[in-house]
Amino acid sequence: MSNSYTITLEINRYDPDTALSWIQTYKVTVGGILRFVDVLRKINDEQDPTLAWASSCEHAQCGSCGIIVNGKPLLACELLVKDAVEQFNTHTFRLRPLTIAPVLRDLVVDLEKAYDRVHKAKPYLIEPAPPQPDGDEYRISPETLETYSEATRCINCFCCATACISSHGHFLGPNVTMANIVRLMDQREMAKEERMDILYREDGVYRCHTARACSFVCPKDIDVSHFLALGKEGKF
Amino acid sequence: MGKTLTIDSTISCDVLVIGAGGAGLRAATTICERIPAKKIIALTKVTSPQKSHTTTAQGGMAAVDPKDPIDRPIFHMFDTWKGSDCSADQNVVKKVCEMGWEEVVWLEKHGMHFSRTEEGRIAKRPFGGHMLNFGETKAFRACYEADRTGKGIMDTVWSESLRYGVGFLGQCVATELLLKEGTCIGAVIFRYPEGKFLAILAKATIMATGGNTRMYQVSSNCRGNTGDGLALALNAGLPVMDLEAVQFHPTGMVGPGILASEALRGEGAILRNKDEEPFMERYAPTAKDLAPRDLISRAVVQEMREGRGLFHEGHNAPHVWLDLRHLPKEVHEKKIQEVCSFFKRFVGVDPEKDLCPVTPTAHYQMGGIPTNEFGEVQSDTQSIVPGLFACGEVAAASLHGLNRLGTNSLLELITMGRVTGERIVEYLRDAKKPEDLPPDAKHIAFKQFSTYLNARGKEQYGQIRDTLRNLMMEKVGIFRTEESLVEAIESLRELKERAMHIAVGTTSLKANQDLWQIWELNNLITVSMVIAQGALMRKESRGGHFREDYPERSNEFNYHTLASMPEFDTVTFGKRPIDMSIFEAKGERFELFDYIKREY
Repeated sequence: MSNSYTITLEINRYDPDTALSWIQTYKVTVGGILRFVDVLRKINDEQDPTLAWASSCEHAQCGSCGIIVNGKPLLACELLVKDAVEQFNTHTFRLRPLTIAPVLRDLVVDLEKAYDRVHKAKPYLIEPAPPQPDGDEYRISPETLETYSEATRCINCFCCATACISSHGHFLGPNVTMANIVRLMDQREMAKEERMDILYREDGVYRCHTARACSFVCPKDIDVSHFLALGKEGKF
Repeated sequence: MGKTLTIDSTISCDVLVIGAGGAGLRAATTICERIPAKKIIALTKVTSPQKSHTTTAQGGMAAVDPKDPIDRPIFHMFDTWKGSDCSADQNVVKKVCEMGWEEVVWLEKHGMHFSRTEEGRIAKRPFGGHMLNFGETKAFRACYEADRTGKGIMDTVWSESLRYGVGFLGQCVATELLLKEGTCIGAVIFRYPEGKFLAILAKATIMATGGNTRMYQVSSNCRGNTGDGLALALNAGLPVMDLEAVQFHPTGMVGPGILASEALRGEGAILRNKDEEPFMERYAPTAKDLAPRDLISRAVVQEMREGRGLFHEGHNAPHVWLDLRHLPKEVHEKKIQEVCSFFKRFVGVDPEKDLCPVTPTAHYQMGGIPTNEFGEVQSDTQSIVPGLFACGEVAAASLHGLNRLGTNSLLELITMGRVTGERIVEYLRDAKKPEDLPPDAKHIAFKQFSTYLNARGKEQYGQIRDTLRNLMMEKVGIFRTEESLVEAIESLRELKERAMHIAVGTTSLKANQDLWQIWELNNLITVSMVIAQGALMRKESRGGHFREDYPERSNEFNYHTLASMPEFDTVTFGKRPIDMSIFEAKGERFELFDYIKREY
């Protein structure tokens, strides 16, 4: 295999039947162009079928495969082996589950629980503006859309919430807060007051300490902290 | 071992939605809008409906805007009929094409962030096979949200369902349909985190489990698109329709087959061979790079076969080029931002400067569970299964016949989702609440899971999965012959047998990925068998089904294939006539809705 790499993965294991946790080491030789999801699959196929990890679309569009690699929350589907070796300047990788929800087994966390937070931000239009007559569409200028369309690309992978220094306590988290801010910027939303209540309540945007880890780790390269700053300033 | 598998608990609801993607949740929101007090449970295999496969759709949703001065629904109907290679059902084609714009406005009203024109209206782009004036020139008909239209749609129906209080149940699969005296009363489900079986009793059940092309080596589908819904229907003794019609999208990224949207070609990208010749000009002189997908996929493979393809070292795979270098920077950055980032991250090329390596990728199942134009599941051509509905990719109504046009699937999810929801609203008026599990419930999953948990042997899941995926790609792929199909069927029998001898890694039921994947593998083998058998039966070439030994379309096969397989490998076939109601109505240009010649 051209450009192959021998890497070592030290992976957090957890067995829900016995509640035992341990770290297990796997050594694999793989092509540099393979992704970490491919590496995990290879471990399942060749070394250990019991190792559990999560993924779905495997091209950074669903946000199911978030894990922590050498301290950085990221999507396992997006990390190519050759890039990982370069980026972290090592051939040894420590893989841990995200920290924003209970671990179900090994690298799999219960994202259903994490989504309870998303639901609190009411990602829908609470009170849509009256529709245009005759089945016509709203008029939204491309310039207006441009001010928030980046934020709508969020896939709720919770990498930002994992990296955030505030979201493990009483903060709804960067992704969730951003979803609320999108609707504050959306001219079709009439329920602005209710949205402001969500934004500025106890677990709202002022829990953010502006460390900007969210922008740093976002797999979709969204400048999350920019939107949180707009929220703090009330610029929507 | 010796675990006794039981139903842990039983839940009741009004409507059970199996598969919470675009179609399932559009049906759910329709029911909520009409009768808000109903209890709806929506199951998803992933952790949240937001993570459904719908979210990976990129390019657009076709809909003719009634204000459009030059486009008309009848052109869209014609394109869909011609695109299907004269095998779509015209009653469904008419209904869906006429509803499209209303649904675009519905999505927009509920928060979808469509891309805009300078005037602030919903922007539209051209797509393969969509043309004006009955095939003359390309139409701007695909409404889009950059190149993440599926995500926009999914976010909208998911959050609307949330607003109405639809109960989401994630990380679970339906393992058996519950039928009582021929009426569907719910399903048995298996929850991954706790490893428990639950029975959900429902007045109405919707199958909306999506696609199934993970049995192909190169596939654009999610990891979980393993044909569970089709296997569920087959195991319940119900027929499936036209499964031989698998769509290969011509531009998957070399390697895993991640989708590179047709929107790229809609925006002007060009396919080139190793001599950088824009080869589609030879295959489709009028539509060129915007010919339908089946034609282009065959052209790509033909180029490779004749030595004009290239070879990617890193992925050890053949490809051709997709050229986006001449597109304006603005297009790269705003209109096709996601796909450009995929090329950079996954393939290591910059579409602004480099040629992009692409190869056909298994993308879509045109066939599915046969339904009528209201989303009611048919047990044969004459009768329906009361209480059971299907919509979206797992269903075949059939809008697409044997080939689907790009942007018609998002259109179908939303329109047929609504139509199905509306039918259920009527059905619920007189539907009785099921009291108990049917006494003759087969508990198929208990047998399956016990077999997998108790299996002993040296077979390995990964090897069988890879063998299956190579086999289907080579022998039941873009080009098929009697010989390749007969060989494939024989190999599938062997794989099924081998799959019985995989020693599971752990016998725990909680979050047991290995057990879950073995169950999925069996579903893939089941569905593959029906695809291969259907392909063997259909001795003609039509749409996505191409037989090298029968390269022409034949009037003898002007019907839908119905296939049943209650036990593995015992396939029986039936026929469903193609609905020709537009042709038969003798309206405007009706002659074009006959079995016409298909050239682009």
